[in-house]
Amino acid sequence: MEVITYSEDAGLAGEVAAAGLDVASVLGADAVAVELDEVSAGLRSAGKALLLKGDRTLEEDTDSAAAAIVEVAKARDVRAVLVAETKFGTVVAAKVAARLRVGSLGMGKRLRVDEGRLVLERDAYGGKYLAQVAAKMPCVAMVQAGAYKAADARPQLLDALSVNVGDQRVVTVETRKSHRVESDIKSAPRIVSAGRGFAKKEDLALAQDLANALGAALGCSRPLSSDLGWMGEEAHIGLTGVYVHPQLYMAVGISGQLQHVAGIKDSKVIVAINKDAQAPIFQVADYGIVGDLYDVVPALTRFLRQG
Amino acid sequence: MKLFGAEQERVLGSLYGAEAAEVYGALLRSLSVVLEEKVAPLSLALDQGKEEIDKPRRVLFEQGVCKLPHASEFGGMGLPFGVYALAMELAGAADASTAMSLGIHNTVADAVERFGSPEQKKRLLPALLSGKKLAAFALTEPSSGSDARAMHTSAVWDGSQYVIDGSKMFITNAGEADVYLVFAATATGHGAFLVEGANPGLKVGRALKEKLGMRGSRTAEVRLVKCQVSADALLGKEGAGFEQAKQLLDSSRIVMGMICVGIARAAYGKALAYAKGRELFRKKLADMQLTREKLAAAAIETSAARLLCMHAARLKEAGKPFSSEAAQGKVLATEMAVRTCDAAVQLFGGYGYTSDDVHRHLRDARLLTIGEGASEVLRMLIASQELERES
Amino acid sequence: MNIVVLVKSAVDEAELRADTAGHPVLKGAATKMSNFDMNGVEEAVKQKESNGGTVIVVTLGGAEAKKAIKEAMAMGGTRAVHVLAEPPDAPDSLGTAYFLAKAIKRLGEVDLVVCSEGASDTYQGQVGAMVAEFLDMPFLAYAKKVETEAGRIKCEQGFEGGVRVLEAKLPAVVSVVSEANVPRYPTLLQVMVAGRKAIEDITMASLKGDDYPETGMEVLDITLQSANRKRVLLDGSPEEASRKLVEALRREGVL
Repeated sequence: MEVITYSEDAGLAGEVAAAGLDVASVLGADAVAVELDEVSAGLRSAGKALLLKGDRTLEEDTDSAAAAIVEVAKARDVRAVLVAETKFGTVVAAKVAARLRVGSLGMGKRLRVDEGRLVLERDAYGGKYLAQVAAKMPCVAMVQAGAYKAADARPQLLDALSVNVGDQRVVTVETRKSHRVESDIKSAPRIVSAGRGFAKKEDLALAQDLANALGAALGCSRPLSSDLGWMGEEAHIGLTGVYVHPQLYMAVGISGQLQHVAGIKDSKVIVAINKDAQAPIFQVADYGIVGDLYDVVPALTRFLRQG
Repeated sequence: MKLFGAEQERVLGSLYGAEAAEVYGALLRSLSVVLEEKVAPLSLALDQGKEEIDKPRRVLFEQGVCKLPHASEFGGMGLPFGVYALAMELAGAADASTAMSLGIHNTVADAVERFGSPEQKKRLLPALLSGKKLAAFALTEPSSGSDARAMHTSAVWDGSQYVIDGSKMFITNAGEADVYLVFAATATGHGAFLVEGANPGLKVGRALKEKLGMRGSRTAEVRLVKCQVSADALLGKEGAGFEQAKQLLDSSRIVMGMICVGIARAAYGKALAYAKGRELFRKKLADMQLTREKLAAAAIETSAARLLCMHAARLKEAGKPFSSEAAQGKVLATEMAVRTCDAAVQLFGGYGYTSDDVHRHLRDARLLTIGEGASEVLRMLIASQELERES
Repeated sequence: MNIVVLVKSAVDEAELRADTAGHPVLKGAATKMSNFDMNGVEEAVKQKESNGGTVIVVTLGGAEAKKAIKEAMAMGGTRAVHVLAEPPDAPDSLGTAYFLAKAIKRLGEVDLVVCSEGASDTYQGQVGAMVAEFLDMPFLAYAKKVETEAGRIKCEQGFEGGVRVLEAKLPAVVSVVSEANVPRYPTLLQVMVAGRKAIEDITMASLKGDDYPETGMEVLDITLQSANRKRVLLDGSPEEASRKLVEALRREGVL
């Protein structure tokens, strides 16, 4: 019996492998991390790893990645396929579930086994509610970044297998990486997050200064990444972006729509800085300052630097 | 604030029945989304003179609000007058000035549809209903508001055309309008004349700058100086003007009343949200008895005003006389709007007194107990109808 | 071009209330067209306007879904198909995709299926890819920009790190993100005309075959997550407020 785990991202592959180990131990099964094309140098897992290769790059598109995983799932006694939630992972999970004709529990933060079913704890209705969703095994589930901690060890490598995937139907003709403000928020203990209150991209330097003074990572609300392109998708925190749970979350110039708040609810302390006293963010913050961020942020940064 | 909510759905249902209410509800729901997203956000700026007057009005024209009650022959949607009235409540809640400007414009469209010749209708209605042409309603004069029959503006037939002389005051949309419906005394009584804004004899004064409210609409004096118009500018019969004005005002009073219901709701909505959040004496403002009394009074009066105006609308739809009911609705709606908006300012306390965003509703509502039939005049109208009843 | 757009009638989270036990009152809850689906409909209508053809709105949901369907029609849908699914029988994502795909297959030749990145109320992002699987069509996900020409589709996909340009042959399924377009506001006349159009109702039973996948998916519980935040407002000048904040954060042990 196996629980297989997958992510195209080495760091997340370690996290979902930890989730796999958790579930596998309850089932008395083996946890196997599936690696495509090559074993990532940074992969951290206390379990085992299986390397899959095909006659074309398997991680090139979601079809080939899904096909490879499905071949493994069909050939071995797999009880669950756990995928780390990313845009790529979300599509792969859906395709694997559809091809295996099994349930896809969706994206969540905690897995457990209950009376022979896999149960996923996930947000519902804009993140205001927590749902427990169960499906009979085998099934597919996605684990959100930061929900599980990757192990320290390198995994024990099992075989390398050859898989047959079909022709490529969706071709990537170009990849464009944009010049953006860098960020690594997934497991940061402190996060400063910027929203529409910032008038221009250059002003994000204020947020970055504050982040530096706090020893924090920089994130943003959806408009700044998806609409304005000032920061990358990996910095976008919210219902449709990254879920974070830092010790300290500072929302600067963010109004606090449900879509954003869904991604920060598990933060230990939430601070809001916004010039609109009616902004919904103040309802979900522990501490709030009603004021112009262009005045408050520099003052706060100065204060922190003085120690 | 959601402009079209359960309250309005229930009113639609009880007045029109479930099936029709679903159809009309879909329209009003769609309109309310547009109002919430494209008009309401501009409302404060409009009051503060920081936004173009025409911008939110364009949105209403593009949506087709003007088309609602008019016949489809000339581009209208042929829907019951009450649906238009409810739409104007929503518009009034989103922005009072824009709603009023549009309502007055539509009164002129109403005049053309009711009293115009086939040629006048063809020439003007499509443009008026789509908003391609803007209209103004010029009845009031510097020395005759309530006593309209005493107007001095005259239109004299010189053998080949009419020459209009006189002045009109407090004209909404003055200076922006493409066509003015000017009421003037004629040899046979009073007449209503469609005068082009470009007519050299029509001169618009400076926009009135000290208005208490309704600052998102342009109001000015309009002078007619040897203003020449051809015979086809006359709407209907030469002596029919006064009777025409009465009929037009009966309908527009329903609309003004419903706009006030909207204004009251906008103010009330803000007050309610504030009361839920504000804390004092270790309680929420909303928990205090005297606050609850104010909220209840606002709810009662708003419902009553809406239903009275809609009752007048339904009578109109049925072709029954509705003058008194329209006047009653307007008196109640406009006066309760002032009371409700005033209570909202009180509830907000110091913030109410010092925020445009709170007191502008009171300032906007304050016009409508005066304009389109001052409350005093309307009470006389209502009383005289009561006295005519068989006891 | 024959275009299908998938629309979900979602629970309006802003209006959703909880009962005393903290469970959402779903029965009779207000619904609306899922926000992201408005972008899907807009994209489908834009493609129709560029290429000519029809837009068929396909929905799986209960009776209240008619409202969302009519809104989609008012934006430019040509006709609509409603697969009836009342709450106790409403399927999970795989079942939903199964029925949607069956309904689409009944329509004959389809060139493009448009959906959105996820439902605004339950956001899992699974159905679009699953529908593509059941239809055996390529799936282009998270599109910010969609172009179709001569039997091919090209789109720009936002991903963590940048933008990918993807291409595939039609017919294909594409999911759009909210940044792809600004959904149009229909005029009152368009709403009225759309309201008069008939919607084709189909039952799940009529579509269900022996190949229906039983996943045994069940929602065991949904409970309110309490916010319970302190909501302390720190006033004063920026300097004073900053000082108070830093003190508070030190006390909290997060600094």
